[in-house]
Amino acid sequence: MDFGLGQKEETLREEVRQFAEKEIPDGWIVNFLDEESRDEDWAFSLSISKKLAERGWLVMGWPEKYGGRGASYIEQMVFAMEAAFWGIPGLSMGVSGTGWIGPSLMLYGSEQQRLKYLPMIASGGPDGIWCTGYSEPNAGSDFANIQTRAVRDGDEYIVNGQKVWTSCAHRARWCWLAVKTDPSAPRPQDGISLMIVDMKSPGVTVNPLLNYTGEHIFNEVFFDNVRVPVSDLVGEENRGWYQLMKSLAYERHSFGGQSYGTGKRILNGLAKYVTETKRNGRSMSRDPIIRHRLAENAIELETLKMFAYEIAWKLNNGVVPVYESSRNKSFADHVLEQLALAGTEILGSVAQAEQHCKLARLRGLIQRQYLMFPGTAIAAGTDEIEKNIIGKFKLGLPRSY
Amino acid sequence: MNFNYTEQQVMLRTMARDFLVKECPKSMTRELEKDKKGYGVDTWRRVAELGWIGLVLPEQYGGSGAGFMDLVILMEEIGRNILPGPFFSTVALAALPIMEYGSDEQKARYLPPIARGEKIWTLALNEVCADSSCRGIKTAARLYDGRYTLNGEKIFVPYAGAADFMLVVARVKRGRLLEKGLTLFIVDMKKPGIDVDVIPTITGEVQCRVKFTGVDLSAGDVLGIAGAADNAIGRMLDKAGLLKCAEVSGACQSVLDITSDYARDRHQFGKPIGAFQIIQHRLVDMLMDVEGLHYLVCQAAWLMSTGADCNGQLAMAKVKANEVYQRVALSGVKIHGAIGFSREHDIGLYYRRVMASKFFPRDTDYYIEKVARGIGL
Repeated sequence: MDFGLGQKEETLREEVRQFAEKEIPDGWIVNFLDEESRDEDWAFSLSISKKLAERGWLVMGWPEKYGGRGASYIEQMVFAMEAAFWGIPGLSMGVSGTGWIGPSLMLYGSEQQRLKYLPMIASGGPDGIWCTGYSEPNAGSDFANIQTRAVRDGDEYIVNGQKVWTSCAHRARWCWLAVKTDPSAPRPQDGISLMIVDMKSPGVTVNPLLNYTGEHIFNEVFFDNVRVPVSDLVGEENRGWYQLMKSLAYERHSFGGQSYGTGKRILNGLAKYVTETKRNGRSMSRDPIIRHRLAENAIELETLKMFAYEIAWKLNNGVVPVYESSRNKSFADHVLEQLALAGTEILGSVAQAEQHCKLARLRGLIQRQYLMFPGTAIAAGTDEIEKNIIGKFKLGLPRSY
Repeated sequence: MNFNYTEQQVMLRTMARDFLVKECPKSMTRELEKDKKGYGVDTWRRVAELGWIGLVLPEQYGGSGAGFMDLVILMEEIGRNILPGPFFSTVALAALPIMEYGSDEQKARYLPPIARGEKIWTLALNEVCADSSCRGIKTAARLYDGRYTLNGEKIFVPYAGAADFMLVVARVKRGRLLEKGLTLFIVDMKKPGIDVDVIPTITGEVQCRVKFTGVDLSAGDVLGIAGAADNAIGRMLDKAGLLKCAEVSGACQSVLDITSDYARDRHQFGKPIGAFQIIQHRLVDMLMDVEGLHYLVCQAAWLMSTGADCNGQLAMAKVKANEVYQRVALSGVKIHGAIGFSREHDIGLYYRRVMASKFFPRDTDYYIEKVARGIGL
């Protein structure tokens, strides 16, 4: 066994640090989801995407012919950790693009689709921005229950229906859309297909849904007789569910590393804060309860690091993760929750001050995290759904839903 | 980076697992809980024949010269199945420190019989008012005319009733700093002036009270440097503590396996209880605990075997081990329901044994404080 990083990874860490120092303004505390809300944040995030693409970092794991540089999973993990630690935005081209749409196209898209869409994502330009149309009013965790219908009409599909909680739809050029192509299939999973929809198509309507902080991250999206060329069906008709299952493990592999970076940023911030701050005439870092809280969080964070290492190492060695991505997502959400809550206890009453308020500490990092962690914990699969997956596929327990 | 064991390590693990399942049934473990010596002579002999006791000892002393990581893997298997007896006390609490701090003569004299399984060892450290920081140690060795006289009383000495020798931490000087002035002595249990009683425990592991009354020792019985054993004690407890974490990691894996098997088999309301999400999610939480602990132990062991500073990671592994074992064993009992609370079921063995590992070498809070220092507080 050997859990060390190589020279290549150490150099990458240093390069990312230097990049962040140069490109990211002091006090930039925007999380990866809320970069989509305000126009100026979005513009800045996209400008960073472009620079990441130029550095060969945006899609470093992809093959060269699609705009990547074939970096190992270990390098990708180290990059995810460092980029999150330094708060670098614009990493995912609107949540979906670099994370799962690219990898899914490489797994079961046509070569024509790959050559058309992957370089757009890889270049970091606005044409590489995607949203993902999975959830519907009656299909959240029960994804197989989607009702959005696609009916074949010659060389096209005609799509009708509604998606909801669609992050980034208001910024996206394309939608990665799950539709029902065979409503009469005996098992609902057997009637689902995936397709690519041009968000500029007639009949696509995007309505903002504000989150509880008033930010515009997600949307509802209506499809009213939207015509989609058959060439934009991804993979096989009615095999969408199985395609998704196949790519799931690849899609979620970077969550652990990214959350580790975010968590490390918060932990280091809090450790520095309590060391530099006096309360009632005494350094907060000498308070045994505070020491205890931060130490407990450091241990869970270290555990998350090992989980992130493990999945990267497995992928690097050609092992297809089965439950590990779900474990990392669930555990990462737990760690970020605990850190945010510990942060609020440490800050005390100033934890309620708005991010830009003079009284806010750590530039509002804790407040941001407090507000954002429930959202990130729900997005891409709730904790309960992840645990169902782990229970079934790792522990061999009966399907429970 | 490499998460794989070597081929030999996989073989060692498989061999250990098979042997322990076959030769150490839980019925025997329960029987031995009533035994004053607490181990099976036959099993001990076979464990020695398999080369486990001398696994990491150098070949010149009858060992196999394996690495520390191999011992960690073996300890995980020992914890998984539970091997009652003085393996840990002999190897982790005596053989390793003798290997590290013994003179050539001491090594040549004491290590080969250990490797052959002929001599059982233990460590006498804690006292009523002294934890493993050793600051409160009152057991004293008075030097007079080139010989030491040992007086004092030790508690929670594992397997002292079975031991042929023990290492004893005693004070030879009293100065301003309480952790200074300590010496590690090698004590032959046959010497006059040693009394051993078994302390009744809830764990089933044999723990003893050992009283020394005027025990006569020579300068040749000193392990390492007389009067300056604090660093050696610290280092040996670090290593032993990590091996204890490995044992706990194996025990936790076993609790998870036993409990998820049960959740698949046991039917209520017409289906396996593992089909209920409340049970399933509890098992998943156990899994995340178990895998996390395993990796923290592996990381600390890897660092230790490279000789790098591993204080922070070791402390993290120890806190994790304490917390995870407690949580996982408790969940194991609860998921089993009433049968988990019964004498006849194995799960309770693990639950009781949490208390045997938790405070060795020191309590959770001590290690939490170490972690806090490690993150710059």
